[in-house]
Amino acid sequence: MMPLRRFQMHQPKNVAEAAEMLAHYGEKGRLYAGGTELLLAMKHDLLRYEHLVDVKTVPGLDKIEAKNSSLHIGGTVTHRAIENSPLVRERLPVMAEMARQIANVRVRATGTLGGNICFAEPHSDPATLLLALGAKARVQGRNGERTLAMNEILVGAYETALAADEILTAIEIPLLAKSQRAAYLKFQVHERPTLSLALVLDVDASGNAITKARAVVGSVSLTPCRSDKADALLVGPRDKVEKQLADAAQVLAEAADPGDDLEGSAEYKRHLTGVFLRRAFAQALSGAPR
Amino acid sequence: MSAEKKTDFHVVNHSIPRRDGRVKVTGKAPYVADLKLIGMAYAKVLRSPYAHAKIVSIDTLRAASRPGVYCVITGNDLEGLNPYYGHAVKDHPLLAIGKVRYAGEPVAAVVAIDERTAFEALEFIDVKYEELKAVFTPEEALAKDAPLLHEKQFEAGALRGFEGEVTAGKGTNICQQHRIQWGDVEEAFKKAAAIVEGEYYFPMAYAYAMEPYVAIADVTDQGVTVYSSAQHPFMVRHDLKSIFNLPVSKVRLIVPFVGGGYGSKSYTKIEPLVAACSWKAKRPVKLQLTVEEAMLTTRSDDAYTWMRTAVDAKGKIIARQAKIYMNTGAYAENSPLVVEKSTNRCVGPYAIPNVLIENCSLYTNTVPASSYRGFGCAQVTLPGESQIDELAAKIGKDPYEFRLANVAKPGEEFFPKMRPFDGTLKEDLETAAKAIGWKNPLPKGHGRSIACSGSDAGAYPLTSTAVRVHADGSVTIMTGSTELGQGSHTVLPQIAAEELGVPFDNVNVVSSDTAITPYDRSTGASRTTTLMGSAVLEASREAIQQMVVMAADVLKVKVEEIQVVRGGVRCGEAQLNWSEVITKFYALPDGEVIGRSYIRKSGKFSQLPVFWEAACTGVEVSVDQETGKITMEKLVTVGDVGLAINPALAEGQDIGAATMGMGIGLFEELVYEGSQLVNGSILDYRLPRFSDLPKEVELHLVQNQDGVGPYGAKGGGEASLNSMAANIANAVDRAVGVRIRQAPLTPERVWRALKEKELQNSKVQKFKE
Ligand SMILES: Cc1cc2nc3c(=O)[nH]c(=O)nc-3n(C[C@H](O)[C@H](O)[C@H](O)COP(=O)(O)OP(=O)(O)OC[C@H]3O[C@@H](n4cnc5c(N)ncnc54)[C@H](O)[C@@H]3O)c2cc1C
Repeated sequence: MMPLRRFQMHQPKNVAEAAEMLAHYGEKGRLYAGGTELLLAMKHDLLRYEHLVDVKTVPGLDKIEAKNSSLHIGGTVTHRAIENSPLVRERLPVMAEMARQIANVRVRATGTLGGNICFAEPHSDPATLLLALGAKARVQGRNGERTLAMNEILVGAYETALAADEILTAIEIPLLAKSQRAAYLKFQVHERPTLSLALVLDVDASGNAITKARAVVGSVSLTPCRSDKADALLVGPRDKVEKQLADAAQVLAEAADPGDDLEGSAEYKRHLTGVFLRRAFAQALSGAPR
Repeated sequence: MSAEKKTDFHVVNHSIPRRDGRVKVTGKAPYVADLKLIGMAYAKVLRSPYAHAKIVSIDTLRAASRPGVYCVITGNDLEGLNPYYGHAVKDHPLLAIGKVRYAGEPVAAVVAIDERTAFEALEFIDVKYEELKAVFTPEEALAKDAPLLHEKQFEAGALRGFEGEVTAGKGTNICQQHRIQWGDVEEAFKKAAAIVEGEYYFPMAYAYAMEPYVAIADVTDQGVTVYSSAQHPFMVRHDLKSIFNLPVSKVRLIVPFVGGGYGSKSYTKIEPLVAACSWKAKRPVKLQLTVEEAMLTTRSDDAYTWMRTAVDAKGKIIARQAKIYMNTGAYAENSPLVVEKSTNRCVGPYAIPNVLIENCSLYTNTVPASSYRGFGCAQVTLPGESQIDELAAKIGKDPYEFRLANVAKPGEEFFPKMRPFDGTLKEDLETAAKAIGWKNPLPKGHGRSIACSGSDAGAYPLTSTAVRVHADGSVTIMTGSTELGQGSHTVLPQIAAEELGVPFDNVNVVSSDTAITPYDRSTGASRTTTLMGSAVLEASREAIQQMVVMAADVLKVKVEEIQVVRGGVRCGEAQLNWSEVITKFYALPDGEVIGRSYIRKSGKFSQLPVFWEAACTGVEVSVDQETGKITMEKLVTVGDVGLAINPALAEGQDIGAATMGMGIGLFEELVYEGSQLVNGSILDYRLPRFSDLPKEVELHLVQNQDGVGPYGAKGGGEASLNSMAANIANAVDRAVGVRIRQAPLTPERVWRALKEKELQNSKVQKFKE
């Protein structure tokens, strides 16, 4: 970590102004939220910007709200705020639990959900869970607003579908129905997850059969990954699905196609996918509706 | 053994709160980073991107002409200095000269009005390199067609501290070789009832200290003054003296508070470079490295060890043989001493009649290795203590009982020509076994291990001090020992307060300023309490002797009539405390008495090692067999410290050392991919966290007053690290039946070992069918 190079800080009053600033500074400017990723990368001289546009000064982006059947989390809401929010804990406990497992308390108190998604670091807890939950990102630029699904916004390692002037204003997460069960688990040795796994299951009234499933493995490849084929193997009577878990994990791991890195070998990550899919399955079905 | 066994202590052997605790935790303690000299400039370093390359040219013009830049210095600007340094061998240029030998090596420095200006100028220095073939492991360095790192021979460093010869420049990449031998190993292995043999790897590790290297240098016509985070100021003084060709009296090293060392702050690091910057810029210069830069400055030697150990039919260890290759990196630094120590430490703490240990360290194009807490002991205790368990398993013995039967006994001369063993390992082991609950039933997937180590510690006995007793009876200790967090600034005044009978709070410490404090060779190898502690004790007693003479003068009686009592003297009815003695003597409420002492290799310190540093650790682990993840259920440390001058501080050292050793056992490892260190930041290099601490911890001290230090004390602070990696490996074996001979035992390594075992089992099963 080196001294920060010189830069100018700008404090827009609203999203439109922020978008204007970003458009104006182009390559030389960048949105700045908690700075836990951005400033670190700048201190390591991996990124250079002459202008930082501080999105935290924009009012209204730090709210958590429940609307009808979904939860809206503003772009600048911190992980810590999500973890501690009575609303999230009550309406979508799996989200609060996931947030509690991110990084350390210092990073959680400063780092934002928007920053996590928009930095698109491949080892992300929120990205994994949000994809499984079918969350959508609201983004706003000079030319208006649009909504992107998680697999649309995350296109690669450190790569999103956002245009240079676009800002993530909120994440909309559908609340779980009574028939749905969710679990989020991760395996971590270093600062970031080696593997993250989220599972959402729809169960029938008897609780003995799965009618719909959505499994996501994250952190092992460039973006979190799911597979229709794997999900199909997770549907059916519980005891049958239990026997198919290994196959489902294999299909899911194949789709993710993990690589070797400091977190471990591809082979190990494939293996862990199986371990954690099984654990997540058991956990999802063990508790009360989430 | 200590002649006296004093037990009625007033100050010593009490857990007095540490002196520096409050100022440190309230942010009031000044470290070098907090200091600012008048007219001070700031330096930043340009580092080589290549592991091995010729420097074809360096153009500094663009950088030097930027606003705010005072000067740029490169290896071409060092005429007039002796730019090579090193206490073992002078192989290390303060900036690369002609070629670079590792990625990260300093090639140039910019000196500017502030740190950012210096940093921003770095990219305007144009360096042309011609890449050379590079080597990264001992095996590559030994290959016939290996490129040579060092072409020429070097002058020996003056403060060698080891016996061998550094062989750089003799046409190979061998840095140093060392060997110890006694008995007849070949014969013993032929006669053995059982033998275990294996290859082990101990990783490159970084001795992370919260404070990275930092120094301020002021080079003037008057001499060289350097403020540094160095732990051995007198050693650094020597290197600077030779670089600038100055008398000792003109080089001054000042060490204020230091933010941890763990080996990384020993010997000379960035001081020559900062001093050269100041020399060229003609003003005081500060250089403060980042953690990432510190990780490009030093590391531990990684070690490849082949070892075999044999027992006879009675279960007595009869032979050990090892061949070790250590990866010393681009420069020797302190590795020659580490090599020698690791060779010796293959044996301890067992009495083995036939021994042959051969050790060879190699130069490679990696970050230079140097001291790491335990000086080579951790590297060889992984194989050593693993083999004790492997051997016990092979002959069907309980490893704890097997150790009890083989450890060196008190007073036993288990290592030829060295000091007889001065610890009580049997008692240590028993304490550890009781604390860990050795015989208690365990849940499935859990395993326990107890291991020990014994190191030839204390470095070299050359230490002096002055204890000044002031007219008001308060005391100032002048010591060259550096407070690194180990607690010396609490322990030393405890000893002076005990001897002089004055309140602890009235004893102050002035330390580590080579212009003021008397010479002390180093603060390392757990030597301070034993050696500086003895010096403070003797200097206090010498001050008392002087004050007895003064009292006789004041009371107009014969010296023999003066009786020393706690805190003063008595003669018949008359009783004087030290303040009264001094003020009456000088006839003013002023003046002082200076007690002195010199410790050298003579008397009770004539035999090396100064003491054997012995300790046991015990662990209980559980293993998640699906992921391979190890959880530390319980940790026990037993420090064999003779007498704890401050028990809480001694225990603090033990848990700190054990946690550091646990880091290596579980996840710490510097990783090279090709020529680059790829996890050289604390985001990527996994250090122990509070959440990694074992669920249960028990700290024990064994205090038999059997050391040569004050009141029978011996050093501690390293030993609990040494056995931890082996302990974890042994406990994992006992938990899930896999033997892993490489640290760290990452989850993936454990999982692979389990998978391999399953494969073997199924093969056996098939064969049976
Ligand atoms: C030590 C450490 C450990 C970590 N461990 C984990 C972990 O275990 N699991 C995990 O998931 N994550 C982990 N992280 C990542 C952490 O979650 C992120 O650092 C944090 O969420 C980023 O938020 P920020 O507000 O600080 O973003 P910033 O650093 O401010 O911004 C990051 C990037 O996102 C852009 N950006 C920010 N907000 C927006 C927005 N609203 N719209 C458009 N673009 C935006 C910025 O321009 C920048 O490019 C860790 C990080 C650190 C430093």
